Amino acid sequence: MLSQAPLNADLHVVNAQVLYDGVVEAVRDVSFSVDAGRIVCLLGANGAGKSTLLKAISGILGPEKGALTKGSITFAGKGLTALSSDGIVRKGIVQVPEGRRLFVNLTVEENLLMGGFTVRAAERAVRLESVYSLFPDLTDHRHRVAGYLSGGQQQMVAIGRALMSSPSLLMLDEPSLGLAPKIVEQIFAAISSLRDSGDIAILLVEQNARLALTISDYGYVLERGRVVFDGDAATLLGSPEIQEFYLGLDQSAGRKSLRDVKHYRRRKRWLA
Amino acid sequence: MSYFLNLVFAGLAVGAIYGMLAMGYAIIYKVSRVVNFAQGEIMMLIGYISYSVALRTDASAPLVMLSVIAGAIGVGLLIERFIVRPMLGQPVFSLVMMTIALAVMIRAVVGLIWGLDPYRFPGSATGAPIELFGVYMQPIQLFLLAVYVALCVGVWAFLRFNIVGIAMRATATDSTVSLLMGVSVSRLYRVAWIISALIAGIAGVLFANIYHIGPDLAHVGIRAFPAAILGGLDSVLGSALGGLIIGVVENLAGGYIASAYKEIAGFVVILVILMIRPYGLFGQKDIERV
Ligand SMILES: Nc1ncnc2c1ncn2[C@@H]1O[C@H](COP(=O)(O)OP(=O)(O)OP(=O)(O)O)[C@@H](O)[C@H]1O
Ligand SMILES: [Mg+2]
Repeated sequence: MLSQAPLNADLHVVNAQVLYDGVVEAVRDVSFSVDAGRIVCLLGANGAGKSTLLKAISGILGPEKGALTKGSITFAGKGLTALSSDGIVRKGIVQVPEGRRLFVNLTVEENLLMGGFTVRAAERAVRLESVYSLFPDLTDHRHRVAGYLSGGQQQMVAIGRALMSSPSLLMLDEPSLGLAPKIVEQIFAAISSLRDSGDIAILLVEQNARLALTISDYGYVLERGRVVFDGDAATLLGSPEIQEFYLGLDQSAGRKSLRDVKHYRRRKRWLA
Repeated sequence: MSYFLNLVFAGLAVGAIYGMLAMGYAIIYKVSRVVNFAQGEIMMLIGYISYSVALRTDASAPLVMLSVIAGAIGVGLLIERFIVRPMLGQPVFSLVMMTIALAVMIRAVVGLIWGLDPYRFPGSATGAPIELFGVYMQPIQLFLLAVYVALCVGVWAFLRFNIVGIAMRATATDSTVSLLMGVSVSRLYRVAWIISALIAGIAGVLFANIYHIGPDLAHVGIRAFPAAILGGLDSVLGSALGGLIIGVVENLAGGYIASAYKEIAGFVVILVILMIRPYGLFGQKDIERV
């Protein structure tokens, strides 16, 4: 599979607009790119439109009555908008959805096999072993029902499941959600080692901006459906606006998650 | 005692038919949350198709079997193409209504082509019954039970080990994520409708061989419905087992109380069971998601 991946497996989203129910504008005129071999992060508070963008790329807005109404999404030079969701997976684009969304009453192994639904059985068996070697913790639990695993183990299954099809673009929607810092560190280490291993492009959606920027190469900041900043990860980490609004570093030197910042801002608005 | 055992055995035999139909209900419900109210009619239609083939081929068993398979694939494909696919994205309820319309349509078409009189299925075996511990068993009934067991094992293995079968269970849990894994849900529906029609068709031919082929085959679908509810509508094997239970209960009620109670006994059983277990004996309680 990997050898067939086109050299220029780049994702380009250009001037995308997404409407839900034909009226709710969740994404407005957003453009960004992800190149192979890089981690690009999409940052932004609740409701900024991050998940909506991933759903648009995966072609699963339909069931939620959403649609890409303007703009284009291309991958490796080909438009994705006309493809069905399974066609997009076959093109090598896979996402780890927000909140992991494991098939809770299937076993760990069955979850992983589902990730390899589009590949041949022999390939599936090979990929299975490579996922177990990436996440050795899962080996002992392979026949356990996925719903009974810990949050961290579930996230490993979710990522492993996405890797089963040897994607050339891996999209992760808030992989740190609800996990202990130690586990998050482990997950993020796995993500950056994936990038270092080569041909894969990674689009990382996060609320935890600091953490995301430390492993990313480039970042975009979304606010109410639009891109308000973008730049190299190092630039974003150093920029004063970002520090103030997205890293919560202005007055208090401590780490604040974006959620805190957002609450802080909302409180400020109410007080004003 | 032997009266009781005979009732139980006869109940198992008819229950196996219910169980097969109930498996069909469950397979479709599992992947799409649609209750297919045309299940009995599909069984009847395929039964009639194989009846016509049997008539013209001097009841050649391989050709009858082939006609069941071809009929099931054809019926499954047609329904998926012209009824299920156009309704994708519409509320599930609309599709359920469509299956009711489909049932009426099939009944009308069958009536037009084959008429309303029941026929004896060509070549249906009338071999001498075998007696075992005072229970009289027709060879064809034993064959039916063997087919039932084989289908249960086959479907179990399919859902457990085949990637498409696993995808069916996955889709039952979270159909959106199934899409994210590259599953084409419409293709999955097609497989579900074909398997369900195939099992119904097999049940239909066996039923026709034991009793007769006639428009009343369609009613078996309604009699089998409690079996699927009892077993848990999304549990294929549970539904299959539910069929046996309903068959036996019906027969015991008919044998010990009055034959009039036979028809309602199944519904009484599900009333009681659903009060204790709202999701049926083996149904999955929906897992709340945020
Ligand atoms: N199915 C839907 N129907 C209507 N509006 C929706 C739907 N899904 C999301 N929205 C709206 O679209 C906007 C963007 O939502 P989205 O889920 O993309 O945000 P997000 O950035 O992923 O937020 P979070 O960090 O909370 O996951 C929000 O205002 C949300 O209310
Ligand atoms: Mg989101």
